[in-house]
Amino acid sequence: MTKAYKYAIVYFLLFSLLLVISGIMLFEHKIGFSAQGVSEYYLGSEEKFIVAKSSAGILKIVLPHIFAFALFSMVLLHFLIFTKHRDTAHSKALIYLLFSSAALEIFSPFMIIFGAEFFVFIKIASFILFESLVVYIAWLLFNSIIKD
Amino acid sequence: MKFTLIKKLSQDKSMRPILTGLLLFTLLYILSDVLVKYVNFGVFPDAINVTLFGDEEQYIDPLSTSAFLEFWHVEIFFIMMILLTLSAVFVRVSKDDTSKIILLSALMICALFSLISLVLAFFVAKIFVLIYSILFFIWHAIAVYMILYSLGKLYYDKSI
Repeated sequence: MTKAYKYAIVYFLLFSLLLVISGIMLFEHKIGFSAQGVSEYYLGSEEKFIVAKSSAGILKIVLPHIFAFALFSMVLLHFLIFTKHRDTAHSKALIYLLFSSAALEIFSPFMIIFGAEFFVFIKIASFILFESLVVYIAWLLFNSIIKD
Repeated sequence: MKFTLIKKLSQDKSMRPILTGLLLFTLLYILSDVLVKYVNFGVFPDAINVTLFGDEEQYIDPLSTSAFLEFWHVEIFFIMMILLTLSAVFVRVSKDDTSKIILLSALMICALFSLISLVLAFFVAKIFVLIYSILFFIWHAIAVYMILYSLGKLYYDKSI
């Protein structure tokens, strides 16, 4: 890989960190990291005048995220192919974990509104796992670019 | 990103029009981005200030934190994907390593700091609106230059 491509990837990783930060800020502001916050956001709260979300409303939010999560995950993960982590059990685990956590993060709101309220914990856990994995993969890539 | 692996882009009958299409659409996106922002958000400090913080005299409400964070989040995603794609093409078609790294860095750093300035303007101090506006124009101008340069290289440089 040429030096210029390495620079481009490092900048992409910096943008990824900014995306993670903005995602956390948005989640914290709109939903909150407590089980009660997530439950109230999706199921509504009369005390706080929060309207319950409908499946159509959730689908409207989810739709662009399905494509965005897939594209972002693919771009980030495919850079691992150019590092020493290519074809290792470690990178395979990262691929499955990243896509699984993304799927759970995207679709858990439907389970919450359809009655499986314990999915509020899955929503929080999958969000934290996805963001942490992005940071971890970014760190792996950054390390490979600096050292290799 | 297969075009990064093709040895002679200038002689590849399929890849050259594909990359031309990609570059033209990227150019269209960059120019449209300026126009859309000019109409809906503002590209000059005064207009951005009104959008972000409202204006009592014109009865314009300030942007809510939630709406701002959604806007910022989407902006980051689109900019990072567009610039990664553009930089991949630009790096492939240009020869001089030092100058292309300088231009690539200028583009990425300006875009990155324009996004950081925007969030600082909303949450910390209004002065960052001016920095955002300047960096916004700089990174758009660099992107346009890189697109035109890449198109020129695709058609007039037989060595790539």
